[in-house]
Amino acid sequence: MLLRLDVADTRPLHEQVAGAIRRAIAEGECAPGDRLPPARDLSQALGVNVNTVLRGLRALRDEGVLEFRRGRGVTVAQGADGRSALLDRVRKVLADAARLGYGKDDVIDMIREVT
Amino acid sequence: MTERTARGNATTWGATAWVVGVLVLLVVFPLTARDRLPDRLATHWGVSGEPDDSMPLWAATLVPALIWLLIAAAAVLALWRARRSTGTALAAAPAWAGITLGFTGVTLLGAQASIVRANLDRTDWRDAGSVTGWVIATLLGATVVAVAAQWAGRRARLTVPPPSGPAMEIPKGQRFVWLSRTSNRWLHLLAAVTGILTLAATAGAVAGLGGGLEGTVGAASFALATVALLACASVQARVTEKGLEVAFGPLGWPARRWPADTIASAWSEHRTAMQAGGWGYRLSGLGTTVMLRGGECLVIRTAKGKDFAISVDDAERGAALLNSLIGQRAK
Repeated sequence: MLLRLDVADTRPLHEQVAGAIRRAIAEGECAPGDRLPPARDLSQALGVNVNTVLRGLRALRDEGVLEFRRGRGVTVAQGADGRSALLDRVRKVLADAARLGYGKDDVIDMIREVT
Repeated sequence: MTERTARGNATTWGATAWVVGVLVLLVVFPLTARDRLPDRLATHWGVSGEPDDSMPLWAATLVPALIWLLIAAAAVLALWRARRSTGTALAAAPAWAGITLGFTGVTLLGAQASIVRANLDRTDWRDAGSVTGWVIATLLGATVVAVAAQWAGRRARLTVPPPSGPAMEIPKGQRFVWLSRTSNRWLHLLAAVTGILTLAATAGAVAGLGGGLEGTVGAASFALATVALLACASVQARVTEKGLEVAFGPLGWPARRWPADTIASAWSEHRTAMQAGGWGYRLSGLGTTVMLRGGECLVIRTAKGKDFAISVDDAERGAALLNSLIGQRAK
C-alpha cells in the first residue's frame, strides 16, 4: 500500500498518520476487510514512534474506519472507504468554517437547518 | 561481440575440464590405492568421530562420481534454461553455476581423499581413522573456491546494463511511502512441525534417551531449522526516501537495507518457484530471490550489478516509487 504525507503539514504526527491512512483507504489502497500492515512496520516506514502510530490507529478505530481484532490484527472496517472519504470532506468543511469564524456547533446547527 | 563469444568459449572449456578432471580424480583415488585398502571402506563417521557405516570398494568409488555427474548435469541444465529464457540476469547464471560446481567439486574431492586416507593400510573398516580435521580443511577449501568463483562472476556481471523500470511522479512537498508483505502458509506449517520436533528432541535429550551428544545435536539442528523456516515464511518490503528495506520473519529480523543511491534500477517481473530454484531465500541464475509465492516480484539491480527479488504484491508501484527516489537522488 502507498501512503502519502505532506512534508509541510503542521498537524500533530498522530493526526498526520491517521490522515495518511484515511486517505489511502478513501483512494482504494486497501479495501474493507483487508489487513493493515502491523504498527511496527508503519512506524519504521514513516519514521514515527510506534506509540504515535498506535494513537493514530486508535483514533481511526473510534471513527469506525478500522477494526481491531485479536489474532487478526488491524483490518479496514466494512463501508470504511465511503465513510472515510465523507469524513475527510466533513473535516474540510469544518476547516473552512473555522476560517470564516464559525465553530463546530455553528456548523452542526447549519446542517440541522438543511433539509 | 567476438571478444565476448571467445570469453564464453573459454569459460565453457574451463568448466568442461573441471567437470571431467574431478570425475577422473574421484574414480582414480580409491582405485590406485586399492591394494592398501580393506574390502569394505568406512564411508560415514558418527558425531564422536568413530566410523559407523561402510561400503564396498566399488560403491565407494562410484557413488561420489555419480553424485558429481548429477550435479554437473543439473548445472548444465540450469545454464541451458537461463540462456533460453529472456532472463534479464543472463550473465549472472555462469557465476552461480561456477560457485556450485567449484564448491561441490572441492567438497567431493576432499571427502574422497579423506575416506581413502582414513582407510589406508587398515584390514577392517571399523579400525578406520578419524576424518574430522580433513572435513574441516575440505569445507574451508571449498568455501574459498566458492568465494573466488563468486568474485570472478561479479566482475563479469558488471557489463550488463540495468533494464529501465517504471517511474512515478512525486508532487512537490509530498513524501511517499510504500509497504507490502507476503507470507507462505506451507512454510509456516513446516516451521510448526520442526518446532514440535525441536520440543520432542529436547525432551528426549533431557530424559537421556538415545545418546546425550547426538540428542543435543538433533535438538539444536531442529531448532535451527525452525528459526530458518520462520525467517523465510514471511517477508515485509518497505520503500521510503531512505531506499528499500526488506525484513524477514515475524520479528522483522534479520533485515536487509539498500540505500537509494546504491540501487541502479527497479522493476516488476513475473517469477515462478521453478525459475527461482524453489521456495524461500534462493540463490540462482536470476540472482537472489525471496520466493514465497509465484507471480509478481519486485526486482532491484544494485549499482554493483547484483539482482535481488522479493515476491510481493503491488510490486509495480513499489518499483516505480524506488525509481523516482533514485531519480530524485541523481538530481
